[in-house]
Amino acid sequence: MTVRSFLKDRCLLLILHGVCMCLLAVFLRLTGYGTANIGLVLIFWALILAAWMGTAYIQRRSYFREAEQILERIDKRYLLGELLPDSFRLEDKLYREMICRSNKSVIERIRRVEEEQKEYKEYIESWVHEVKAPITGIALVCENGRRKADTERTAVDVREAFGTVSLENQRLENYVDMVLYYARSEEVYKDYLIQETKLWEVVYEVLEKNRLLMIQNQVRVEAAAEELVYTDRKWIAFILNQMLLNSVKYRSEQPVFYIYTERGKNGVVLVLEDNGAGIRQEEIPRIFEKGFTGSNGRSHERSTGMGLYLCRKLCGRLGIGIRAESEYGKGTKMFLEFPISNYISR
Amino acid sequence: MHIFVVEDEPVIRRELKILLENAMYQVTAPETFDAVSRKIQEARPDLVLLDVNLPGVSGFDVCTQLRMEMEVPVIFLTSRTDAMDELTGILKGGDDYITKPYQAPLLLARIGAVLKRTAGAKDKEAVRLLHKGAVLDISSCSLSFQGQNIELTKNEMKLLHLLFLRAGEFVARMDLIEYLWENQIFIDDNTLSVHVARIREKMKDIGIQDFIETKRGMGYRV
Repeated sequence: MTVRSFLKDRCLLLILHGVCMCLLAVFLRLTGYGTANIGLVLIFWALILAAWMGTAYIQRRSYFREAEQILERIDKRYLLGELLPDSFRLEDKLYREMICRSNKSVIERIRRVEEEQKEYKEYIESWVHEVKAPITGIALVCENGRRKADTERTAVDVREAFGTVSLENQRLENYVDMVLYYARSEEVYKDYLIQETKLWEVVYEVLEKNRLLMIQNQVRVEAAAEELVYTDRKWIAFILNQMLLNSVKYRSEQPVFYIYTERGKNGVVLVLEDNGAGIRQEEIPRIFEKGFTGSNGRSHERSTGMGLYLCRKLCGRLGIGIRAESEYGKGTKMFLEFPISNYISR
Repeated sequence: MHIFVVEDEPVIRRELKILLENAMYQVTAPETFDAVSRKIQEARPDLVLLDVNLPGVSGFDVCTQLRMEMEVPVIFLTSRTDAMDELTGILKGGDDYITKPYQAPLLLARIGAVLKRTAGAKDKEAVRLLHKGAVLDISSCSLSFQGQNIELTKNEMKLLHLLFLRAGEFVARMDLIEYLWENQIFIDDNTLSVHVARIREKMKDIGIQDFIETKRGMGYRV
């Protein structure tokens, strides 16, 4: 609020005073007062007016400064109405009431949206749990079917058909898992079970899970993860699974994966190295972005651009570092960095 | 070994039953779940697979009731994956907690592990396998023939193990690879050929000739 804008705001009042001063001067002149007297009266008038305007300016300025400061300090700005400084002026009071009423409706709307979102999320979670029953059913039918085809020596294509269904079923399972973890990624803290985790067990579990897919794609894996970390096993398994699926998706003619751990000075690093398509140098910084499908994503199988985004998000919540190094056309290295907390290691 | 399956999805129940029976377990799987803990007590199984979400009753409660009466090992099967649920499962006295959808080999392995832990390793696996005069010693990871002995690597050991177990029949390459994967050896088709070639080399050293037969495009036989 500058002096100029303040005066501009009061210009009607100033004009009124000016007109009144002129009329008074004319009136006094007609009733026979001298120029000096008239001048004196007008000067006093002007002084009083200036003093009045001055005080009003200072008062208003301090009032709005205070309001401005409050607005800066609070994090829920829509609650300003409740915090505005008291003012004796009728206008201020009216505005304050209106702001309060408008805020109230905003808050109600936010509540409603939050409620809807929560319900939606809960529904998604329960849906995921429901859909897992039929997925399990299909998986078991396929497994039994394959074994039966083996023992009874039925045609090879029957066995293959079961294998294919089983693979597709696994893809389905992965997509369903992604939905679940996405819905939960906002509130990881509710679903933590931090425990001593043997990395090799997680690696074996993930490899075992993708056994069919990897064997069918002629993948060779050398796994030597020998470190212990303190983290949530389930989330790590999910993250590793996404990374592994990417490696399979962008594999080379003779895919070989190396999974190993390194002990750095700040903690343990789990590395997944493949000899696949690699990532273009300029795309590396963007691979963890939501919906990013690089040139690889377009040329290979359809990519959703969600897998690595979710990985980074979950890693962020778990306090794990994730990064990638790659040489285009030669292979990619993905790193998961588990920090060692002094508190835990002591 | 007798396994009691409590699962309300008919398809999963049926397939689980087939899977477990193929793995040489005796299986009981009731179709109704009233007084299920009493049924379990009457059946006296060696292990219970317990679904958490049953119609009208929670698997956790069943486990609690069961625990008051008997010490049978319990594995929870569930599609819920919260850490909280897992914790509840363990606190209620479950021995393991497997989330759906599970992989069949993984499920069998976990069942085996729990049974082994609780039964205190009743029946040990045979540690020596004999075929055509060659002896595969699993505990020392070696192969001997007419008094001569060679050391085997873990990979070679596992490979020969399956061939010996199914001696006399052709084992498909795919089966071999899958079996190795189940034992944490993650190889591809080419590597399999390399391993077999290496085993043949080693066998030659102690005088075993033409022990492993190859059927092109099919597999191997001892």
